[in-house]
Amino acid sequence: MTLAAAYNLGTRLFWRDKAMLFASVVTPVGLAVGMPVLMRNVTSEGVTAATEIFQGTLAILLSITTFMNIAVALTGRRDQLVLKRLRTSRLTDAQILAGQIASTVTQTVALVALSTVAVRVLADVPFPPDPVLYAAAVVLGSAVMAVLGAAYTAAIPRAELAAAYTMPVFLLAAVGAGAMPIPLPGWAGTLLGLLPTSAVVDAVARGDVLAPALNLAAWGAAGLVALRWFRWEPRR
Amino acid sequence: MTAIQVRGLGKSYGGFPAVRDVSFEVSQGEIFALLGRNGSGKTTTVELLTGLRRPDAGTVRVHGLDPVADRAAVRQRTGVMLQEAGFFPDLTVAQTVDTWGGFTAAPRPGGEALELAGLSAKAGTRVRQLSGGEKRRLDLALALLGRPDVLFLDEPTTGMDPEGRRDTWQVIRELAGRGTTVLLTTHYLEEAQRLASSLAVMDAGRIVASGGMAETLAARGGRVAFRLPDGVDPESLPLPVTREGDLAVCRADDPDLAAQTLLTWAAGRGLRLAGLEVRAATLEDLFLDLPGSVR
Repeated sequence: MTLAAAYNLGTRLFWRDKAMLFASVVTPVGLAVGMPVLMRNVTSEGVTAATEIFQGTLAILLSITTFMNIAVALTGRRDQLVLKRLRTSRLTDAQILAGQIASTVTQTVALVALSTVAVRVLADVPFPPDPVLYAAAVVLGSAVMAVLGAAYTAAIPRAELAAAYTMPVFLLAAVGAGAMPIPLPGWAGTLLGLLPTSAVVDAVARGDVLAPALNLAAWGAAGLVALRWFRWEPRR
Repeated sequence: MTAIQVRGLGKSYGGFPAVRDVSFEVSQGEIFALLGRNGSGKTTTVELLTGLRRPDAGTVRVHGLDPVADRAAVRQRTGVMLQEAGFFPDLTVAQTVDTWGGFTAAPRPGGEALELAGLSAKAGTRVRQLSGGEKRRLDLALALLGRPDVLFLDEPTTGMDPEGRRDTWQVIRELAGRGTTVLLTTHYLEEAQRLASSLAVMDAGRIVASGGMAETLAARGGRVAFRLPDGVDPESLPLPVTREGDLAVCRADDPDLAAQTLLTWAAGRGLRLAGLEVRAATLEDLFLDLPGSVR
């Protein structure tokens, strides 16, 4: 019951914050739909290129809609002393964070689903051949990114810097997943391939199961351990 | 029955001891005031009592439970009004109370909580449009939502106008009358003196005075002040006095008796003690006697 209340709070605040919706919904969905549509229409191998780029843009959705969004939301509430007030309620610390994480994952999954349909209609990108694997990769991937985003707030000194601090993560994830076609030396490609966003794209694009599952499990565990250092109040 | 028990409590921030060896007990249904200047450690103490911080030393028990380890259980019975906590500025007062009801076991109806806090007229107002005093009332409404047995109020009336302050005192008295234990911090001495039956005064993280309000004040004695008649040598008075501006001040355990002695002495000499003021000790005297005070 209380977890549901924390979940509802996160969801209510997400959809109320119109300015943030532009950054966390319009931009990533625009990229995830727009780039495949562009590829479909400008290259000769249209459908293949559009499919590849769409799979890559999942990394963008995960790094913006999940990671950046939760980091911005939690640092904002931390600095406004809302998290402190929540801790005077009946919610446990774990429930406060779990509610927010679950809410962020829901937003992401909904936007991925929306984008998947949109690129099917607008760019002929076929629906995923293995919908269960696709769904599992997206849900687990966004859960891991949400945990990591929550843990990452410990490194963000002030709320107004939250978006800037998540920028490198977004860039690395996008480049690593091939959503930004930048030529990379082999070692860099290997390194970026270890990102959880890359694991999700590998599962979706190549049908890999074991390696992405292990990758996400490792990142998820690391994120949960890092939550030990979560700060509930701004630095004095 | 003891509602709050604190033993040897200590907390440091980066080597700075904010709270040192603090011990006290608060009985069920009692109003207990924690007094002190800014930075004396009151807020840290409240944060330790409510389980928001983990003590470095000592123990806290609220109805026998550890507020850090058993926070969820303690919260079922406690209401907390922090000195400073955030709201969602775009929610209305009523929406804020409803949202908070979701985090509260068996909450009061939102309207009832707003009524108690005297905020019913503002139910439809967005939080960002409330004045400082109204936000404080909303803080109080949220703290009362869960019908707490124990209420922690960190400077509950700061920012309120005199009417708000009186209303809040009334609410606190009524709650205590119905058995709610109240621990409040304040630097309004009048507030503590009017509400609390016992107190602890903190200075530099330590408790420097504590006990029942009446006994603590009685132990301080009182004072008799008057304008020294022209040409009278203070040394010739029957009781020792100190000078405060143009006033002679006599401190005495029994200020009434001291006043009588002085008046009898004056009458015998045909003198008049102008501006005579006899008063029992107040918290202000106690406060001003703290080390480091500037009189």
